[in-house]
Amino acid sequence: MSVTSPAERDELNRLLIQTGRNDQKAFAELYKRTSSKLFGVCLRMLRDRGEAEEVLQETYTTVWRRAEGFDAAKASAITWLVTLSRNKAIDRLRQHREELLDDPSRLEETVDEQPTPAADAETSQEYRRLEHCLDELEPQQRSSVREAFFTGATYNELATRCKVPLGTMKSWIRRSLMQLRTCLDQ
Amino acid sequence: MNTPADDGNNNLRYAEYVLGVLDADARAAVAHEIETTGEAATAVALWQRRLMPLADTIDEVTPAPYVWARIHDTLQLDAPARVQPRKGLWDNLQLWHWLGIGASVVAAALVVVVALPRLAPTPSVVTTGYMASTIQQDNGSTGWTATMDLQHARMVVVPATPVAFAQGRAPELWLIPAGGKPISVGMIARDKPTTLALDPALLARLGPTAALAVSVEPLGGSPTGQPTGAVIAKGAITGAPDTGSKVAAIYVQDALRTST
Repeated sequence: MSVTSPAERDELNRLLIQTGRNDQKAFAELYKRTSSKLFGVCLRMLRDRGEAEEVLQETYTTVWRRAEGFDAAKASAITWLVTLSRNKAIDRLRQHREELLDDPSRLEETVDEQPTPAADAETSQEYRRLEHCLDELEPQQRSSVREAFFTGATYNELATRCKVPLGTMKSWIRRSLMQLRTCLDQ
Repeated sequence: MNTPADDGNNNLRYAEYVLGVLDADARAAVAHEIETTGEAATAVALWQRRLMPLADTIDEVTPAPYVWARIHDTLQLDAPARVQPRKGLWDNLQLWHWLGIGASVVAAALVVVVALPRLAPTPSVVTTGYMASTIQQDNGSTGWTATMDLQHARMVVVPATPVAFAQGRAPELWLIPAGGKPISVGMIARDKPTTLALDPALLARLGPTAALAVSVEPLGGSPTGQPTGAVIAKGAITGAPDTGSKVAAIYVQDALRTST
């Protein structure tokens, strides 16, 4: 289900606010409309269906408990939800990293070659603005930012995957972030 | 809100936090700041608004129905009420005698009385409510063992040994009815047990005349709804409980215990 139209966004905001008032029907409807997107986000980061399911479950359990604190003036419901699921997925990835320290070879995955969106993907006005700003970055830096966002990898992991020194990766990402901010805040 | 302080290292740290590149300790430090200072919370919210539209381009993937059932259970929500299992019926040997008549009859009954996923079943149900399949690779070694939990309408697929896949490829499980086209059961893990929900259409086709197969597909699953990559393992489905399925049922209990 698309969450890209302004009308759909408003409806999601309303459902999340209702969820914050302990409205179980609104919560069920919110899950129906947003779980596929959030599951896609978790699956992309964790690359494992079982783990993505666990993180999705944790995410919505937290949504139910914390929806009261949602403020539509600060963020849209979909931004709030995607952020929550990404944070939980990243926490899970970091836990793994600790577990994998004995076997660092498992961290050396190659860069995902499919970070760009499908040509026909339905995107929001906000995304098109962001894409315009991303296009102004150097290609390597742009792909590092995308890789970071989609996989939740640390600086260290990104440097290993892209086979560049850690300092280079840090400066690519930091410069890109500052450049994106300037471009987006215009 | 662009005060000179915003351009310092703090703002960069908030951006890095939202992008997701910080290690566990640095993340925890920023998370703590968000909880305790308004400035951090505002800066992080701004970065979320800037970067989160990237998620627009991530493909949506529908989660299995049991995920909602688990959320529902965890939060002890009361609506919509789920169908309660009728344990007496499931312990009734006559019902299991139907297995001999045909899987479709059993499946029809299951549609009526099937419960949403619950905690691990009692051992008495385990020995009677399962079908099993050994999914063998072309070289004759066992790839996965699938156990179908009819009562809870789900299947647990356990790899015998982890199977290697190329980057960006993953195993997808198919049900192949006799003389019919493959039906996707779902993506399975190559190195640990996977629990899959079985919808009524799939349940209706389980039985000794059907087979299971595993093909190599893109991570999100076959884009066409039919196998697009090589079929690397196949197995027949056995209905009657025997030693093999009892052994498999032990895996099931372990898998369910860790997943609920």
